[in-house]
Amino acid sequence: MSKKNPVQTLTEDLQQGRLSRRDFVLQALGLGVSLSAVGSVLTACSGGGEGEGGGEPAPTPGADPAADTLEKELRIYIWSDYLAEDTVPNFEKEFGVKATVDTYESNEELIAKLQSGVSGYDLVCPSGYAITVLSALGLIEKLDPSRIPNLGNIAPTFRKTNFDPNDELTVPWQWGTTGVAYRKDLLPAPPDSWAIFHDKAHAGKMTMMDDMRDVIGAWLRFRGHSLNSKDPAQLAQAKADAMLAKANLQSFLSAPVKAQLISGDVRVAQLWNGDTAQAAAENDQIAFVLPKEGGSIWLDAMVMPKTAPNKKAAHAFLNYILRPEVGAAISNATGYGTPNEKAAPLLARPVPFPTPEELAKLEYIQDLGADAQAWDQLWTEIKAG
Amino acid sequence: MSQHLPPRWVIALTTLVYVFLHAPLLVLVVFSFNDSKFSTSWEGFTLHWYERLFERADLLSALKLSVGIGLGSTVIATALGTLLAMGLARRRFPGRAFVEALLYVPVVTPEIVVGISLLILFVAMGFQMGVSTILIAHVAFNISFVTIVVRARLEGMDRSLQEAAMILGADEWTTFWRVTVPQLWPGILSGALLSFTMSFDDFVITSLVSGPGSSTLPIVVYGMVRKNIEPTINAISAVILVVTALLLWFADRVGGEEGAPKGH
Amino acid sequence: MSALKALRRRAFTWFADRPVAGTLGLLAPGALWLLVFFMVPLLMMLAYSFMERGLYGGVVYEATFEHYLRFADPLYVTILGRTLALSLTCTVLCLLLGYPVAWTIARSGRLKNLLTFLVVRPFWTSFLVRTFAMIFLMRESGLINAALMGLGLISEPIQLLYTPWAVLVGLVYGFLPFMVLPIYTSLEKLDPALLEAAEVLGARPTARFFRVILPLSMPGVVAGSLLVFIPSLGSYLVSDLLGGAKQMMIGNLVQNQFTSARNWPFGSAASFIVMGLVLMAVVAYLRTRDDEEGGLR
Repeated sequence: MSKKNPVQTLTEDLQQGRLSRRDFVLQALGLGVSLSAVGSVLTACSGGGEGEGGGEPAPTPGADPAADTLEKELRIYIWSDYLAEDTVPNFEKEFGVKATVDTYESNEELIAKLQSGVSGYDLVCPSGYAITVLSALGLIEKLDPSRIPNLGNIAPTFRKTNFDPNDELTVPWQWGTTGVAYRKDLLPAPPDSWAIFHDKAHAGKMTMMDDMRDVIGAWLRFRGHSLNSKDPAQLAQAKADAMLAKANLQSFLSAPVKAQLISGDVRVAQLWNGDTAQAAAENDQIAFVLPKEGGSIWLDAMVMPKTAPNKKAAHAFLNYILRPEVGAAISNATGYGTPNEKAAPLLARPVPFPTPEELAKLEYIQDLGADAQAWDQLWTEIKAG
Repeated sequence: MSQHLPPRWVIALTTLVYVFLHAPLLVLVVFSFNDSKFSTSWEGFTLHWYERLFERADLLSALKLSVGIGLGSTVIATALGTLLAMGLARRRFPGRAFVEALLYVPVVTPEIVVGISLLILFVAMGFQMGVSTILIAHVAFNISFVTIVVRARLEGMDRSLQEAAMILGADEWTTFWRVTVPQLWPGILSGALLSFTMSFDDFVITSLVSGPGSSTLPIVVYGMVRKNIEPTINAISAVILVVTALLLWFADRVGGEEGAPKGH
Repeated sequence: MSALKALRRRAFTWFADRPVAGTLGLLAPGALWLLVFFMVPLLMMLAYSFMERGLYGGVVYEATFEHYLRFADPLYVTILGRTLALSLTCTVLCLLLGYPVAWTIARSGRLKNLLTFLVVRPFWTSFLVRTFAMIFLMRESGLINAALMGLGLISEPIQLLYTPWAVLVGLVYGFLPFMVLPIYTSLEKLDPALLEAAEVLGARPTARFFRVILPLSMPGVVAGSLLVFIPSLGSYLVSDLLGGAKQMMIGNLVQNQFTSARNWPFGSAASFIVMGLVLMAVVAYLRTRDDEEGGLR
């Protein structure tokens, strides 16, 4: 015994039931173990993850004492089709909480609602830049990490993000990248650059996404600039490149382009990696490439509005979705990557975390603040030209 | 010759228009039986998407909510809109042209402006977003459409019938139900149909004034389509088409004998 | 029961004796609803259009006229012009296709209700699903191209989708009921005796149409045209989905201001400029019509 380090001892005590989970957490923290490490140990010890609020004594099956203290309701406002079908029903069953799920279609819709004072939602799931906005507006509540022991399952790549530098507000949900989807059988060689959209040989057979951040962002990267650039000269160049590409584009089309990739009406499309994977499952001639100039990476994360009526249940839900098997089921349903490193190996179609080289080429889309107007003017000119 | 049918080419053109309106529906129904997640080509017959309907409880409850809000807002908007049209037709008063122009304001206002402004108003009034706010919003944008359509009927309509009824001793109530409403009926019915259609298919405004637990069918469907148009939506559309066909047949059987007020 | 009847009768007599109160009673409920839930919020937005944009949406309470001045940029005037042209074409096409339909329905006897229903029923399916079905028909490997090639009319597939024509088809499809129903509504009251009289008096079919039928259905034609033209100015999803989002319309511009550009005041200003133009046209039209009516009576 004496040869083991104190943490090991503690862990064994916990495993053999000599120590309650709360005492374990307190003592481990006292030994200077980081909270996320404690979380991982707890998860590992309970064989695949535990759901109750952090630090409560180990539950006796069927009567979870933590569940008694939860509110009876939970209201989630999230992108549509962003949950596995059994995610919420299983949570309801296990925790005795009635959960309502409503969906929105754009970050702006969500911001407009929360900003004007609509209340009643316990958890919302904006994209990174929208979290910047919501937190600047003071609409987001800090999370209580002691209630989310599974936080440690999140890969370090997706922590300390620009929109949550201190890891206080968010539980990352899903991530993906924007690059180029193409038909292997209809192109002589795989594209490796955004320049493919300037190639007249594929005129009328290519699409870019119907989103100003993605289109202008790609052409900024093409010239080696940041896709969050606010420099007028760089933006003017990006506009010129975008107009050149527009002449070759069949349309500006986002997610629905999948059907046309499958049918072959479109050969090259700017698209998210997750959507490309969904299309590739139907037609194995479809592949994804991240252009050498780089592209964008996005991360959507759960946050809790200040006005949330059921904060304990919200924490319980966050901890629940961080269980490896729950996180994996969600990613299996959406086709996107999970930021949960314990869940990643369980995916049916693995979505590997970006390598350091890839990460160097990938950039998060950030809020433009006052410069949104200049970007919009540019986008209008591209569309109207 | 007593029917005064329009010329044959007019009837032919009408047939073509009906084909135009219903051709996409045929495609939609066919793909609801297609054994592929993507509606790109025919991959074989399946009932899978109809089975999925039973798994998607959210879809069915959203449908129920949409029908409820559609009917509710249609009844209110049709009643208010018809009265408004009658009031406007009744007499001329200074500034009537102005009031009539105001009627067109809801028609001309972009949906997103309606949605955002109502959102701000509801929050300022302390309303909790939900079914009631959706209902209020739908009535607000439907009233004008009803009024404008009913006015097209009222304009130049013969008032002598109403006067005759009064002279014959019918009170205003009887005159209203037995003479005025039947005379206006095609207008009222048209206005109601447009109302229901707009309410049932509205996404932009509804999504802004909805609250927790009040997702209508378009909100759920838009979400499903954002990623990929799952044929379950085709299936639910096909079900709606069949149900309305049955309702139509039923209304025709019942209404054919005595039912709804008739124009003549 | 009879007490109720008496009450009802008294209420009606009361209103009948006071025509102004009676008119008000008819107008008040609807007008009040529109006032509270439409005009008040809209006036708020009007106020917004004269304020500075908020960094994260909304507004900052500082007065400015810049958003109206910004609209004078040729960029936006071009967009407005293009939108007006498209909406106008859409209205004319709806009239050309919708009038025959309304005419047929109005003379269809027992089939009247059924045919009316069939005009709106396609719209009880989801807009997006309907549009995706149209895309399937129109795209390069779609059914229309396949049929034309099968018939030997064309040898290469033609580009139907993502053209201005596709947008027009989509708009006409979506707005047709708004044209058909008002015209039907006003045609339906047409007295067949009038036509018989015209026939007896020797009017040829063309003359019967232009001298009798069309003038009597004018209120419906006007209402229908307004109900198609005005809302089509603000539509944006059709041009995105069928036009490939390559052309910007006023509707897209306004939508973007409230979403990605987060410039509510400019979005409001752009809306009010369009609304102002359209309403001025409507008022001018209603004025002249009132004058004509006044002269006739």
